[in-house]
This record gives sequence, C-alpha cells and structure tokens, in this order.
Amino acid sequence: MEPPLPVLDDRETKPFFDAAAEGRLVYRACDDCGRGIHPPTAHCPWCGSWNTAWRDAKGTGTIHTWTVVAHPIHPAFETPYTLIAVQLDDARDVRMMGRLDGAVDLTVGTPVEVWFEPLAGGGALPQWRLTGDSAKG
Amino acid sequence: MIADEDAFAGRDKCAVAGVGATAFSRDSERSVLTLATEASLAAIADAGLAVGDIDGIVRCEQDAVASYTLAAALGARDLAYWGETGPGGVAPCMMMGLAMGAVLSGQAKAVLAYRSLNGRSEARLGGSGAQLQPRVGGQGSYDEFYLPYGLLSAGQTFAMMTRRYMLEYGATAEQLGAVALACRSHANKTPHAQMHEKELTLDDYLAARMISEPLRLFDFCLESDGACAVVVTSAERARDLPKHPVLIRAVAGGAPPDLRGGMMFPVVTREDMTDLGGRKAGETLWKRAGVGPRDIDCAQIYDCFTISIILQLEAYGFCARGEGGPYAESGAIRFGGETPINTAGGHLSEGYVHGMNHIVEAVRQLRGEAAMQIPGAELSLCTGGPLPIGSSVVFRRA
Repeated sequence: MEPPLPVLDDRETKPFFDAAAEGRLVYRACDDCGRGIHPPTAHCPWCGSWNTAWRDAKGTGTIHTWTVVAHPIHPAFETPYTLIAVQLDDARDVRMMGRLDGAVDLTVGTPVEVWFEPLAGGGALPQWRLTGDSAKG
Repeated sequence: MIADEDAFAGRDKCAVAGVGATAFSRDSERSVLTLATEASLAAIADAGLAVGDIDGIVRCEQDAVASYTLAAALGARDLAYWGETGPGGVAPCMMMGLAMGAVLSGQAKAVLAYRSLNGRSEARLGGSGAQLQPRVGGQGSYDEFYLPYGLLSAGQTFAMMTRRYMLEYGATAEQLGAVALACRSHANKTPHAQMHEKELTLDDYLAARMISEPLRLFDFCLESDGACAVVVTSAERARDLPKHPVLIRAVAGGAPPDLRGGMMFPVVTREDMTDLGGRKAGETLWKRAGVGPRDIDCAQIYDCFTISIILQLEAYGFCARGEGGPYAESGAIRFGGETPINTAGGHLSEGYVHGMNHIVEAVRQLRGEAAMQIPGAELSLCTGGPLPIGSSVVFRRA
C-alpha cells in the first residue's frame, strides 16, 4: 500500500509543493512585519497585512520535538520510525514535519538539513537528515 | 463597564434536566443512529418530558448521525431549532452553550444534545490510516503538511507535545502513570465503566508497550461504542421537572495565543505547544461563573490522553504551569483528594464518547447519583478539547 500523497494543487499550498518539485524549500512570510506564517495563509495573522509572499528557506533547522512511533497505523509506514518537528533557522514562526527511519536518538537543537523525497505520480516532499556530529552516530 | 458578576447574562438561567446513556462496549452491534435514539429517549424520560416536548437538537459536527435524522427516529415532530459545533471533543461543552443560546433567545424550550459513535467497532478515531484517501489535505485542512510524513493520529501528535513538555518541565512517566491510575481507580468502582473491576498498577502502566514514545498503551483513552444525551431547558422549567436541576453556571471557550490553522497537527508549529486554549477558556469561565478552581468539588477533564489532563490542570488553574505532573502524583486528583477528576473513570477508563460522558457524569455528581459520589458536591467543572481550542462549563447544583 502506498503512503498518502499530498494534494499538490490546493490554492493555498500549491507553491510549496511546486517549489519542492524543483528541489527548493519555501515558506510563507509577511513582507511588512517579516514574520513567518505556517501553515500558510494569504493574510498575515501577526500584523494584519495582505502583503505576504513565499520565500526561499536556507534548508537548515533544528529538532524542536519528536516521537518514535512504535505502533503501526498505516501499512505504508514501517515501524519504528521517528517523527520530527523541525524549527527552521530562517523563521521562528515556522516548524515543519519530517520523518526519519528507525528509532533515532535525538535531543532538542539537533541540526538537520532538507532533502527532497520524490513522490509517486510526481512532485516531492521535503524531508530532513541529521547533520554535523549527530549524523555520525 | 460591565462588572464581572453581571458579565454573563446566562448564569444559572438554564439547567440540565435529563441525562441518558447507552452501555459502553467494544461492539454495540447496533447502528450509531439506534445508539443515539436510545440515549436520547433515556435523557428525555429522565427529564420527565415526552419526545414531543423536544423542539431543539444540537450535535457535534463529527457525529455520523444528523440532527434531523435523529429527530425522525425519535418522532420529534416539533423540531424548531438545530445547531452544531465542534470540533470533536471540544463540542460537548459548546453544545451546552448552543442549547443555552437557543433557550434564552426563545428559539427552543427543550434542547437535546447528543453524541453517538461506534468508536471501536466501526470508526476508530486513532485510525487505521488505511482509511485515508490516496490524496490528502487541501481546503484549509493543511493535512498535506502532516499525513504524508506518517503523522497520522492524535496519539502521535500528543506524543510530540508530551516529549516537549517532559523536556521543558521535567515531567516523568510515573506522573503520567499517576493520571492513568487515578482514572482507573474511579472506573474500578463504577459499574457501567468499561474498566470496572479491572485494576491497573504502576508496574502494569510502565510495562505496557509503547505506542508513540513517550506515550504507552495506558496513556491512551479507550475506543468505545456508545452514546450519551442530555436535555437542556430553562432553570425555571427544570424546577417543575422530577430530577433535581443541575444549573449551567457558565460556559466558555478559548483559543491559544498562537493558534494555527488546521485541526490538531499544526499544534507542533505553535511557539509554545503545551499552552492550551483551555487557559484562556478558564480565565473567562471563572469570571463568568464567579467561582474559581478551589471551589470545584469535582472536575471532568477531557482526557484523550494522560497528558491532556496534566496540561488542563494547569490551564484551568488547579496548579501552576509545569506542576501538573507533581499535582497528579500527589493524589490530589483522586477520590478524596483536593480536585477529584473523571470520577467515573473518564475517557481513559469509563468509555470514550468524545466528551459527552463527562457532561453526564458531572450532572450525576451534582444530583448525588454517581457511583463514586463526592459527598455534598455542588460545583463541577467539565472541559472539552484540548486541541486545537478549548471549551468548558461549570455546573451547579440548584
């Protein structure tokens, strides 16, 4: 069984997946107050501006929290796997999901960098891998 | 400037006149419509009313049973008002608010609120993700950012919250276990609870398998088949009905300061993911009710997971931020403690009717009808949620 695939043509989130298909990580941000907006909205919830746009992210971040999934729910996701919430280095308001294979020993602040997982039927999903000393273990 | 004591026009103006419930089981072998019908008829009879007296129905937006379909099954032909609220476990407390609004504005005289689900035998909320559509997300759900990664369930989401909470405040597995054991001990002495007479020790809790680390099996609520219903009417009318009225003292909902769109997964993006909407709901609720957490005789706290209780004990002011674990471990939340919670066992051990059995238990306590009866109980808190937003009610014995 295949994993669930993201809708790629939603009017709010299509640019995120278009960029991922090109190997770029983007996030929505406000051009007036500068804060990140995730999940993305056209209207800035922080300052009330409609002057928002997609920005290229550096593609680096740190682990904010995680869980090692032991109990299988979906046949496409073999357990154990580790779900991570990644704090983007670019914007404190933006955290994105990732999945690491196996049960990974993590700490808050562990550095990660983005890579792009090709999706069945086209497109890509931004994923993360450990960098620096944490990648060697 | 409106004084706090005058700020909530609805205080004590409406009452729960009747409650009803089906048995809670792993397989009801009946449809959710039949369960809803049975619980509703029980609530209407408990209120001393007839089906024809019900002119309003409110429901949870996730309920498979539509209000008009339930009206048809009941034979409630004078339906004049209907409404729905949500999401999920947030709904029951907000249903009390909807019912009050209908009664106080003259749109209905007796409002039925219900929740019905075959949560074990038909529609398991924690999933089998295999039920998912091939393409997920869109239309403001934002599921496209989460489900494709294998973040599929509430349990996995709350596990990430729990991990963060443990790291920030030093909470322990034993403290989570204290919550599971407290609820279980109440269910053990409640005949209708699914975990009646099924004892749980801390060793059992710790030895149970991990589901999504750091959450173990008994950190999770039950999956149940069952339905609950209540009838809300004016306090004045309730005084003439057979059961001792339980007044709706105050209702309040609340959003977290850093609310994000989507149902529950985007909580991982909140700056402080363990600061719940319940905190704001609580601040409003206590003002509206004119009482505080120390005045509460028993609390029915929405418990999809053990961590949900710990975070809400803090949010509603029973203890300080980060103190929920030690507070639970102190025994304060057990029968005989400072704030006995989930006195029939709650979702962790009584049954999972998505917040509605908490309303029923709160009413039974204030009538003096509970199995684990708190002596002289006059005020009960009931909460819903806790994601993405929170809801709450204070009930008072008339």
